Amino acid sequence: MPTASLSLAPVEEEVTSVDEVVAPDLPWVTIVWNDPVNLMTYVTWVFETYFAYPRGKAEKLMMDVHVKGRAVVSNGPRESMERDAEALQGYGLWATFEKDD
Amino acid sequence: MARAFLREPEGFVALLDDGERLVLSGLMQQTRVLLSPEIEPTGDAFDDLVASMGVSLDLADQGAAEPADADHRDPALDRLLPTAHRGDDEVAAEFRRLTEEGLRQRKSSNLDLAIDRIVAADEDRVVLDAAQAPAFLIALTDVRLLLGERMGMRTEEDAEELHAAMETIDDDDPLGYAMAWYDFLTWLQETLAHALMGDGDDDV
Repeated sequence: MPTASLSLAPVEEEVTSVDEVVAPDLPWVTIVWNDPVNLMTYVTWVFETYFAYPRGKAEKLMMDVHVKGRAVVSNGPRESMERDAEALQGYGLWATFEKDD
Repeated sequence: MARAFLREPEGFVALLDDGERLVLSGLMQQTRVLLSPEIEPTGDAFDDLVASMGVSLDLADQGAAEPADADHRDPALDRLLPTAHRGDDEVAAEFRRLTEEGLRQRKSSNLDLAIDRIVAADEDRVVLDAAQAPAFLIALTDVRLLLGERMGMRTEEDAEELHAAMETIDDDDPLGYAMAWYDFLTWLQETLAHALMGDGDDDV
């Protein structure tokens, strides 16, 4: 992090703005994790209902959750992923969001 | 004897007898108590939104009070309202602070509606219209999550062991009773999900 600057702005403010510029705007992802309670049919229904994904895509994501233990179900800016994770938790799915590295 | 949810002209209909309705609504009530929001929904979406934001601004919800609260948190709540970020506790805590009250209100509303529909059953017929069916389906999920957590069902292996244990369990073991109701709820939810997805008409 730069310690010197030509700017006359207060130090705190400078640090904040540098942080924002340096942090790249990488897409974030929403992940659904497998759990022993949620039914395959129900998980498919949630993906169809919330994301409006077609049946085939919803079923493929459901199978990924079931077989691989997790699946990335959406990606985009952080705010959208937080919204998706919140909504999916509302449906009772084990949803998290994170930066896509 | 129960009959699965089917799509009928008047909506999604299941047949549940008195005993089944009593246990089902009782389990929903327990889930409702666990999830009760700090501020009960008013029925007005805007008021509820303001109320939920008000809670997140409460000093007691922030800073030093948080770790102490976390220690006393019912583990079932972590299943119903799980950590939303694995690896960054700060991000997870902030997300929880901003979303938990709203999630509790939505889940509670689903459970209230489901309980209402069960109580309103006429001649054992539990009838859901197109708007009520998803809420009922989600309420069943939250009840099963709570029941599963209480039985220690946290992984696929746990679930297999529990089902295997049912083969030899004593008739009067409460775990067997809980498991039987869990399986009943699973069956009921499966039929409603199929009916909602439009492929349940052949299921009996």
